[in-house]
Amino acid sequence: MKVKESYHRLDPTWCKGCGLFGVFDALKRAAVALDIEPEELVIVTGIGCHGRLNNYFRAYGFHGLHGRTMPVATGIKLVNPSLQVVAVSGDGDAYSIGLGHFLHSVRKNIGLTYIVVDNRIYALTLGQASPTTDFGTVTVSTPLGSKDFPIDGPSLALAAGGTFIARGFSGEVAHLASLIERGMKHNGLALIDILSPCVTYNKVNSYDWYKKHIFHVEDLPGYSPKDKAKAWEALISPEKIAVGLIYEEDKPSFEELVLPDRERPIASLDLKVDVLRLGKIQDRFR
Amino acid sequence: MIKDLSVMIAGKAGDGVLFTGNVLAKLLKRHGWEIVTSRDFPSNIRGESTCYTVRASLDKIYGLSDQVDILLAFDCEAILAHLPEIAANGIVFCDGQGLTMPPPEQTRGKTFHRFSLRALAREQFGQEIFKNVIALGALSYLLDLDPSLLDGIFSEMFLKRKGEEVVRKNVQAARFGYEKAREITAEAERHPLTKKADDDRILISGNEAIGLGALAAGCRYFAAYPICPASEIWQWLVHYLPDFGGAVVQTEDELAALNMTLGASFAGARAMTSTSGPGASLMMEAFSLAGMAEIPAVIAHVQRMGPATGMPTKSQQGDVLQWIFGSHGEFPRIVLAPGTVGECFDLTVGAFNLADKYQCPVVILTELDMGQDFRTTRAFDFSRVRVDRGKLLSPEKLLGTTDFKRYELTADGISPRSLPSWKNGVHLAESLEHDEKGYRDEDPLNRRRMMEKRMHKLDQASPDLFPPQTWGCQKAEVGFIGFGSTLGAILEAMEQLRVKNVPSRFLQLRTLWPFPAPEVREFLAESRDIFVVEHNFSGELATLIKSQVSPCGELKNILNYSTRPFTPREIVEPVLRSRR
Repeated sequence: MKVKESYHRLDPTWCKGCGLFGVFDALKRAAVALDIEPEELVIVTGIGCHGRLNNYFRAYGFHGLHGRTMPVATGIKLVNPSLQVVAVSGDGDAYSIGLGHFLHSVRKNIGLTYIVVDNRIYALTLGQASPTTDFGTVTVSTPLGSKDFPIDGPSLALAAGGTFIARGFSGEVAHLASLIERGMKHNGLALIDILSPCVTYNKVNSYDWYKKHIFHVEDLPGYSPKDKAKAWEALISPEKIAVGLIYEEDKPSFEELVLPDRERPIASLDLKVDVLRLGKIQDRFR
Repeated sequence: MIKDLSVMIAGKAGDGVLFTGNVLAKLLKRHGWEIVTSRDFPSNIRGESTCYTVRASLDKIYGLSDQVDILLAFDCEAILAHLPEIAANGIVFCDGQGLTMPPPEQTRGKTFHRFSLRALAREQFGQEIFKNVIALGALSYLLDLDPSLLDGIFSEMFLKRKGEEVVRKNVQAARFGYEKAREITAEAERHPLTKKADDDRILISGNEAIGLGALAAGCRYFAAYPICPASEIWQWLVHYLPDFGGAVVQTEDELAALNMTLGASFAGARAMTSTSGPGASLMMEAFSLAGMAEIPAVIAHVQRMGPATGMPTKSQQGDVLQWIFGSHGEFPRIVLAPGTVGECFDLTVGAFNLADKYQCPVVILTELDMGQDFRTTRAFDFSRVRVDRGKLLSPEKLLGTTDFKRYELTADGISPRSLPSWKNGVHLAESLEHDEKGYRDEDPLNRRRMMEKRMHKLDQASPDLFPPQTWGCQKAEVGFIGFGSTLGAILEAMEQLRVKNVPSRFLQLRTLWPFPAPEVREFLAESRDIFVVEHNFSGELATLIKSQVSPCGELKNILNYSTRPFTPREIVEPVLRSRR
């Protein structure tokens, strides 16, 4: 049996109160619930405060370039589908510089868990507006107020054919952990967008603010995450932000389609040179 | 006796020029001749002028000659465009109304035949598409080729996919073309080719040879984004990799292609991507990541004409310095440049071993000419292929390890590798500066050590790298330096110079980085006149030589930045001029 300490490498040094503590804890809880060996888990992170997660979390890790978590994680998953691959990004990573990769990975339905920690600001670069920053917000890059309208990751994922779309709140760790756990079990890409306060650069979207502005879809009478129309309705709700498992669908995963009936993962193939077989292939050039 | 012959097929895109040229090349190869092809195509699917040259020789050849002996044109425009290249006793077949004859002073000695290929194809076989096969039949007559060999090629091409009837019709059309050519030409116009044994040889393009090399070397993951002229590597591999247990993935862009290659490699696959032009610029970002995180990766770059979108179907060597000095920060990288299709295979196999051994990105740099054109070569010997995965450990070797260090500071700077899922091998592949276990570390002393570790990895690599190849006379005063697909034109030029009593030699660089400075220095010291031959505007190789060999004396550049590959004459003339 695993315990949270099985995945604990170092105590984080994020700002006191940062939403990432809740994410860190929820991810450990989900791993404990699924009893994953740290060796079987790969955490792929992008650039931003969330990227430090690899230093604190004990598992195989890949801390790559800004915005490129999805292609790296896809390469890992296809080469060894038995691995549990969790990609973690920030809002800048997933919804700005890596938006193309995000949508195409959703479209591919590759078997990854994609955790997007959305704090509505670029924190590591000291406070610029992000793609989820509210219109009109004054930041160091938008002293006259942001002139860009924010975009919504889960809505984009639904439009792109996403098969598991959830939103959590880093102030509700147990709930978040259960979403991550379900996402890890999902066949295909599971998006878990996380509302996560930045206590240093975003004084508006605080824990209290989120508590007042979220609602849980599971509390809606008759809500079913299998109903796409209901999912849209929840996502475009003008008053409050929908939290919970918003949409879920069965669809073959990319690895099932690309690697049907494989005896061995690519990672453990024998690369012995098959002289006869290659010779037959070469005969076509004679 | 004819020992060397060039046939040009010309027409508009959509005329079947490519099909006709490909079949002719295969046919002449089956007669035992050495083959070099060259295609000049627009970046357009239909309507613009295209041509395809097949050169056949009894001797080993690497490039085109300066002339065309037979021109088969599907329209008259091609005659005017290619008249200067047509040999003094050349023969021209032309379809199309109103054969526009050039002025007599330009056509002396050459024979022109109106050959209504389209009309005949429609009349005799009901479809214009048979014009290509009629043309092949006519060429078979003119070159006195064995008709059964052409029939055999049709069977191979059509029997499985399209059935017996299609094969039969094609054989008939070829016979018809054969007889028709007999009617319209004089016996004296024939260029009979002797038949030789076609022993253990293949006819292959550079892109296919890179694909076959990758397959043999154990590449089992390939990710790429479509781009001319690199896509054939992928489109060849896609038919084989799944059967070998691997995967081919089309990505959303080249940023994803290289990042995905790195993810696959990190997880244990021998992984590769291919690109050209703007795609290479996008890959520059992750190129640096491969260097920093020390992840093996193979990148095949088939160069096309830039800058920007440039001319996607024309060849160039304008991306050399980008791979050697490009991307952010400093990190070790290897850049290989095959000059023949045989080297495309060998260097690709080598690239995978180098990437694993030195844990760094390896670039196979070719050009459109090398990638898409076909050449005969001795069949590849797969029994010589070795797979060396360097310091990649195994789960067994990690048993009992308690303190695995992925970036351990070792004497040679190369550290042991573990793969995800292996017990006791947990580590972080880190794009930030990191400590020996891979975790972020900004300590100044650590930074210095890690920088030295990475940058010195290739110090001892030279025995594993492909040394320059020297061609020609040892003591010649004239020396050429070049790399890649200019090899063919350089060797032809050397032969033409030899006939004119100007002996020369040629240093063909096969590894561009790490730069083979000792060999180049020695070559420079032994030659009086050095010509650096490059298919670009600014002389990137010459710039590289000057930066790496100092003092290096005078280097004369012979540059070509036109849309067509070097002709031997374009190399001979500047050499002769400089000696006047």
